[in-house]
Amino acid sequence: MSRAWLPICALALLCGCGPRRADTIVVGSKNFSEQALLGEILAQHVEARTHLPVVRRFYLAGSYICQQALLSGRIDTYVEYTGTALTAILHDPIEGDSSAVFSRVQSEYRSRFGLEVMAPLGFNNTFALVVRGDDARRLNLKTISDAVPDATQWRAGFGYEFTERPDGYGGLARVYGLRFAGPPRILDLGLLYRALLDRQVDLVAGNSTDGLLAARDLVILEDDKHYFPPYDAVPVVRDDTLVKHPEVRAAIADLAGKISDAEMRKMNYAVDGEHRDAAEVAREFLRSKGLD
Amino acid sequence: MSLAEFFVRHRNEILQSTGEHVWLVGAAMLLAIAIGVPLGIVVARRPWLSKPILGTANVAETIPSLALFGFLLPVPWLGDRADRLAIVALTLYALLPIIRNTSAGITGVDAAVREAARGMGMTDRQILWKVELPLSIPTVIAGVRIATVLTIGIATIAAAVGAGGLGEFIFRGLAMVNNQLILAGAVPAALLALAADFMLGVLERRLRPAGLTAH
Amino acid sequence: MSPHADSDPIIEFRNVSYQIRDAKGQTANLLDGVSFTVLRGETLVLLGRSGAGKTTALKLINRLLDPTEGDVRVEGKTTREWDPIALRRHIGYVIQETGLFPHYTVAKNVALIPRLERWPEDRTENRVNELLALVGLEPQHFRGRYPHQLSGGQRQRVGVARALAADPPILLMDEPFGALDPLTRGEIRHEFQALKLNLGRTIVIVTHDINEALLLSTRIGLVDAGRLIGTFSPEEFMRSKEPSAAPYIEQLRELERAGGTHESG
Repeated sequence: MSRAWLPICALALLCGCGPRRADTIVVGSKNFSEQALLGEILAQHVEARTHLPVVRRFYLAGSYICQQALLSGRIDTYVEYTGTALTAILHDPIEGDSSAVFSRVQSEYRSRFGLEVMAPLGFNNTFALVVRGDDARRLNLKTISDAVPDATQWRAGFGYEFTERPDGYGGLARVYGLRFAGPPRILDLGLLYRALLDRQVDLVAGNSTDGLLAARDLVILEDDKHYFPPYDAVPVVRDDTLVKHPEVRAAIADLAGKISDAEMRKMNYAVDGEHRDAAEVAREFLRSKGLD
Repeated sequence: MSLAEFFVRHRNEILQSTGEHVWLVGAAMLLAIAIGVPLGIVVARRPWLSKPILGTANVAETIPSLALFGFLLPVPWLGDRADRLAIVALTLYALLPIIRNTSAGITGVDAAVREAARGMGMTDRQILWKVELPLSIPTVIAGVRIATVLTIGIATIAAAVGAGGLGEFIFRGLAMVNNQLILAGAVPAALLALAADFMLGVLERRLRPAGLTAH
Repeated sequence: MSPHADSDPIIEFRNVSYQIRDAKGQTANLLDGVSFTVLRGETLVLLGRSGAGKTTALKLINRLLDPTEGDVRVEGKTTREWDPIALRRHIGYVIQETGLFPHYTVAKNVALIPRLERWPEDRTENRVNELLALVGLEPQHFRGRYPHQLSGGQRQRVGVARALAADPPILLMDEPFGALDPLTRGEIRHEFQALKLNLGRTIVIVTHDINEALLLSTRIGLVDAGRLIGTFSPEEFMRSKEPSAAPYIEQLRELERAGGTHESG
């Protein structure tokens, strides 16, 4: 009868096991192309600079998943957006000021999670209200406030998330007094720009780093009232990892401020529009910045 | 790269995910046994409790697993760490087979044996420990076996809420439309289920009291 | 009255009724106003057809059931005053299906009560061997067997051995040979009688078999529809004019005519 304990012990030993990753750095990313690009940039540069083996764990299904993966040590780092960190992970109220949001996110991540939020990569992937280039030039539209009077004759196209989020359409309409000719059309994100270019809608809410914005005659209206919270891209890293491998901190710090909005858009277009490989595009970018 | 090469290249990650998966399932099963077996005994002793207890466990069983994971997300403390959440949800799933089999095992003990035991002056506790539980072991372990295989499968869905495990490969593979990634999660999960089924079958045979004819 | 009996009542039923309530709330009396005494050293056979209430009466003695009305007294105390566990350890119990623990060997089954009573191991061992030999099962051969490896008759013998293990002063037997085929049944019945277990022991047996009653009893209690019709010595029973006794007497006469056995004690 005592021999029956052998399989039980084996099972117990197996629990909580798995080879501890000795010295590999695991870079995670969410499940869209911009994230895969950023993940590649992080991964390649850390590899080149520290010569530590890097494992990629991309296409994790969202902020919560990535956060859990960081907390449990399944990944060492990924790129988050400050506005998302503030609302979706910290559940703090929305603020508009970029550096205030960054400080708050950094200090709370440190104290609550033991995670280090590093300096922003340089671009802000916020919601962008976009109109056709010819309309912008004809009506002399530079900011959202400029567009409010004309908007009463327009149709708008929004994605589902923008319509539902507290920092989305509802708040926008209130702050700017924005009204359209009818209720906005809800469209799949991938179809928004096509609908705009085909003149089925006159204004859409996209993301400011969308690839197509670099390649078509489209204009982003400036958020003059600073309604949208900032979504500065920041690398988030486990404190334990930085302690164990201080060279990783230096490697990631190299990337601070290196990616502008325009550069991100271009890279996104290369992957989404031209269907190029994200790893290649990332490599080119690093080379162009002298970082490989 | 062939599938075999892929598995070899990524063996460390696959092994680590398998370890995470085993941890989720193992913790849930231990909890489910610790809660389910006593509840099964209670249900066997007091049949009027069978409806509320089995009914509740049944409700947990019928909620789609993904929905159950989602419901628990906003719960404080539970929702903070996905593995906690997953273990609680998996435990709820494993409870029904265990409660049901434990109670069936005990009530299935021959009435004559129970009557003789009582009539000879055994206390209720002595009857439970010396007669009812030993005779129910095969049925209880069969319940554990069912629950374990079930839990290994449902644990793959736990990756959807960030608990890790082999399901993470599957979800990533789905998002990237990459079959090798999907299989890197699905194949070990299937193997785990087969291994668990086999080992528990061995345990069932080993722990079957001598003198019970196999059925 | 049996020469072995003292005039000392060891079991008494005083106006005992046992009522059950079915699912619809209707009540029925399985036993109705039953009173009788069992003297120490007697072998009382409760005889009656199925459903007459004799098993109920037996179960009232070792408190597997409690009377709805009236008292059952054992050794002078009512069953309600007795601690049920102590009462049952004081009484050996043999049932028709035997109820041997299938996961215990024969030896472990027989040793059940001695082990519960924490007898020293060697005393238990000796007792087991002694009893197995007594009931006609060669100890070395049968000790390590499991119940499923035994025939019905062998199982029943083990059941009797188990009941006697702690040498209880009272033995209750509920249709003990009922599950056996007629040949085995006849054999065992005779062996049981030859054991003379009734020396110093009070035995109450429930049966519907008139042959058994006549062979084994010192007194027969005739039970019909929840009532005790009367108690008789075997000879008195055969001469009885009671209407409920008649079918049994008739049954015996028929067997005689057909050339069957007529046994008397």
